[in-house]
Amino acid sequence: MDNKYDEWQQQLVKCIRCGTCRSVCPVFQASDNENTTARGKVKLLEAVSEGKLALTPELQTRMSKCLLCKACVTGCPSGVKTDELFLSARRVLAAANGLPLAKRLAFTGLTYRRLFDLGLRTGAVFQNIVFKDAPDGIGKMARVSLPGAGLSQRRIIPPLATVPLRARLPETSRVVSPQARVAFYTGCMLNYVYPAAGEAIVKLLKAHNVEVVLPSRQSCCGTPAFTAGDYRVGRYLAEENVKILAAGNYDAVITGCASCGAALKHEYGFIIEDPELKKAWQLLAGKVQDITQFIADTGIKQDLRAVKAKITYHDPCHLVRGMGVAKEPRQLLAAIPGAEFVEMKDAAKCCGAGGTFSMTYYDVARTINDWKLDNAAATGAAILATGCSACRMHIADGLGQRRSPMQVVHTAEIMARAYGLE
Amino acid sequence: MEQQVITELKQLLGRQYVMDRLEDRICYSFDATFRDFPPDVVVKPGSVEEVAAIVKLAGQYNIPVTARGAATGLSGGSVPVRGGISLVLTRLNRIIEIDAANRVAVVEAGVITEDFVNAVNKAGLFYPPDPASAKTSTIGGNIAECAGGPRGVKYGITRDYVLGLEVVLPDGSIIEAGNRFDSEMAGPDWGMLFVGSEGTLGIVTKAYLRLVDKPQAKQTLLAIFNSLDDAARTVSGMIAAGTIPTTLEIMDNQTICAVEDYLQAGLPVKAEAILLIEVDGNAVSISTQAEHVMKACRQWGATEIQVASTPADSDKLWRARKAISPACGKINPTKISEDATVPRSQIPAMVRRLREIAQKYDLKMVIFGHAGDGNLHPNILSNKHNHQEMERVEQAVEELFKAALDLGGTLSGEHGIGYMKAPFLKWETGETGFAAGQKLKAAVDPQGVLNPGKLFTA
Repeated sequence: MDNKYDEWQQQLVKCIRCGTCRSVCPVFQASDNENTTARGKVKLLEAVSEGKLALTPELQTRMSKCLLCKACVTGCPSGVKTDELFLSARRVLAAANGLPLAKRLAFTGLTYRRLFDLGLRTGAVFQNIVFKDAPDGIGKMARVSLPGAGLSQRRIIPPLATVPLRARLPETSRVVSPQARVAFYTGCMLNYVYPAAGEAIVKLLKAHNVEVVLPSRQSCCGTPAFTAGDYRVGRYLAEENVKILAAGNYDAVITGCASCGAALKHEYGFIIEDPELKKAWQLLAGKVQDITQFIADTGIKQDLRAVKAKITYHDPCHLVRGMGVAKEPRQLLAAIPGAEFVEMKDAAKCCGAGGTFSMTYYDVARTINDWKLDNAAATGAAILATGCSACRMHIADGLGQRRSPMQVVHTAEIMARAYGLE
Repeated sequence: MEQQVITELKQLLGRQYVMDRLEDRICYSFDATFRDFPPDVVVKPGSVEEVAAIVKLAGQYNIPVTARGAATGLSGGSVPVRGGISLVLTRLNRIIEIDAANRVAVVEAGVITEDFVNAVNKAGLFYPPDPASAKTSTIGGNIAECAGGPRGVKYGITRDYVLGLEVVLPDGSIIEAGNRFDSEMAGPDWGMLFVGSEGTLGIVTKAYLRLVDKPQAKQTLLAIFNSLDDAARTVSGMIAAGTIPTTLEIMDNQTICAVEDYLQAGLPVKAEAILLIEVDGNAVSISTQAEHVMKACRQWGATEIQVASTPADSDKLWRARKAISPACGKINPTKISEDATVPRSQIPAMVRRLREIAQKYDLKMVIFGHAGDGNLHPNILSNKHNHQEMERVEQAVEELFKAALDLGGTLSGEHGIGYMKAPFLKWETGETGFAAGQKLKAAVDPQGVLNPGKLFTA
């Protein structure tokens, strides 16, 4: 085995197998199988590094049973960086066994920015051929099961926007006497699926006298690719984004999606190899801020309009553990007059989306999501705010399945309402 | 293992509860000790009848069965050292009843300790055993290894709360030993036979557990000592004088330094020892107790005493104790946690012996633990990839067990014997005692099906 796994070993040896990860891992709690715990996976990788186990497709399946929610990283008393370890393992396994054709095609598609854009815009026009409206008009459901895309007929997904966010707004939104000039990295979901949330973010920034640039040449952040182990595509996208964002002279790079933010701020550090670009990324990473963080730091406006509603908040994994943002969205929500902010139990526990996890393991993802929805329902809130489009989509699906009247919105949207910006 | 056995197990339990792929067997090959032994097959029964059927089948084919819960053990009790069947009990996870009037709980073996403690708490009662692994470990595992925890000094350990057990015997029959009544004595206390037996005599599937009153209040104190002997004298002096705290934790100088390096919380790095003391009871009694504690600490030479008046203050005092594990991880990755236990009056002697051992074998060691019941946790910090060092660790551990026994102590305060200490058990029981134990095992499990390689079948 030579020195191939030296890097792993430094992390692997730290695991004391205490099993604390069992008490925090949502996938383990839903499936009661040691192969879903961090320590089980650590043991498997140890077996690989010792030559006792090959890089089998079976192993690949087991390594894919992880939401990358980082709960085990935070909970680990020995500080094993399981997130980095598992990403590295997925990379090695993808190289050994390849990835399913559907994923390979989709990831490659991401690298052709204009083609990808055209595809999703065309998709918006033709989506009703494959999808039908879900009952009560809450979203779309597949007409036929699309297993390759992880879309079972039960799953309710939001429609694609007929006009994406970046086509709705000018590349630069100017304000009179700007206090700052920022880039808004929209990512794919805010651009193609939730443009209203993206618009709310731009409005909020403008209301704070901030000039907002939406770099038109930004690509997908690469999270779906590199979390699946496709580092070639992941690196390409990371490098493209860093080039684009570093070229502009911005005071901050604003994100409105937890996964994009965590990728830009942290994960790119493990992906980008070119030393020059890495240096550029380091400068950039310091400027990446979630929208709620930026607003809380700038100072929340005081003359807010009342929003009479009970509101609860779900911490997206990549926001609370990925970017360390937890108090800011709460500060924002608590500042709304008339609104009652209620904390839900286990607000920082994963909702079960986990990117492509919920496509591959829909039933497990639903079980985990049900815990979240039960906790949210127990607060009696009418609105659930969150800061990640993937969480939003998964939670909305769950609410739709149970015909719950609860609304799920981006924190920025409800703030825009309070700012009177609708 | 013959394919036929796996086929029969699948017929018995359903395919999804039987795992025989290498990738899964590796995941069930270990606990919190550092060696691993993959089972041939992993089974997850959903009822006591299924457990019994599995054990019967194993008997027919003469295959070892090792039961496990969450496998958080620190002595290797649930590790299938001879392969065979790893029998996972986590599907038996119902809290069947919390009977407040009779102060008894009925729980299945796979219930997570903390879930049970929380449920009891909700019912207005208290279940004191509190192993460090409570968030993860199961009640069945607590019983099989006889887990303890920091409250042992006042409230005792798991065995003190077991009233009765449902057990699957090695021939596959199901019995109840003891029952749910608090004051009952129909025959010998043979339920106790299974407590701490590590699944070698039977597999515990259900337990009747004693519950007690919830203490109304508690108070936490931290005492700092320039001399380890003073700290130890305080422990025995305080208890001899009639004040039995809920917890009485000791940290030696190296532990304090390790934690301070990690936390930077302003801990007294020059102190030879600190004692973390908690008293509980009603409001009147805790203030009297706290006064006695402070008096004892001052009398035996504490240089400083900090008293927590709010829960937040108390959490602050506990922070250092709780940070020991991560702090150790920063020093060296492989943490070998022992639980050699001596009479509390022998703590200074034991700590000195441990220090000598660490020095002799050139190992990093921190010493902390539940001083109140003499249960020390010498933790050797090493690297399992350094084979030369690991050899020295093994020698040191052996010497450490000897030291504990020399001082009138025992091999285990709360971690159990497992595969790790089984070779040394004879030192504690003597030849005659060990032979008696072997006879007992042979009488109950003549085939030696249950958990071979542990206790008297080492």
